[in-house]
Amino acid sequence: MTERTMTVSNNGIQPKKTYRMKKEFYEMLYILNPVLDDDKFKELVDFVNKQIESNDGEVVDVDEWGTKPLAYDIDKKSSGYYVNIFFNAPHSAIEKVERNMRINDDIMRYLTLKYDAKMERHYDLKKKGDLPVIFEETEEETEDDN
Amino acid sequence: MINNPSHPKKGHLKTKECKFTKAGIEYIDYKDTETLMKFINDQGKILPRRVTGNSARHQRQLSTAVKRARFMALIPYVTENLR
Repeated sequence: MTERTMTVSNNGIQPKKTYRMKKEFYEMLYILNPVLDDDKFKELVDFVNKQIESNDGEVVDVDEWGTKPLAYDIDKKSSGYYVNIFFNAPHSAIEKVERNMRINDDIMRYLTLKYDAKMERHYDLKKKGDLPVIFEETEEETEDDN
Repeated sequence: MINNPSHPKKGHLKTKECKFTKAGIEYIDYKDTETLMKFINDQGKILPRRVTGNSARHQRQLSTAVKRARFMALIPYVTENLR
């Protein structure tokens, strides 16, 4: 029994180290309170980025969409400041980052997605700008006919 | 009816094909609201497969994409129906 537990613990430790180091690619979209001013937006974006970096993550890309109207009211607000970030991080970082975001009242909503191979390919294509077109051609034709 | 070329309804039949498969899309992005809007009706409901002709795989992807977009307030859950 002791031998067994020994081997199990040994086996448990070694992959754990590699597992801890393993980083996944994530995407996060969050909405900030639109009432704030530009300095405060910057501060909040830095706050989130710092949260990720302090948890062994690295931010790859920050895409600020700016203030956009919401499709429905959230907390009696009809618009929001959208920020879309891409980052590499170990999985353990996510809950810590999300916990801090949940506590912060100025972050109205967030959505984190882990990217799989297909989504990463999609992301690369989008970066290059050769995403396959779904609708454009057929629509223009019908519009011309009318 | 399908095998009979002289059937009167034959001419009305449209072969639907999945637009995502045709374009070679692997992942439907929830941030791409312009595309998503084409697959929901004016009430904000997701259109069925029998209407859009999506493949099963892409319909599944589409429904999760629409739900994510709704959560992030990019597209509405419901739009008011004017009577």
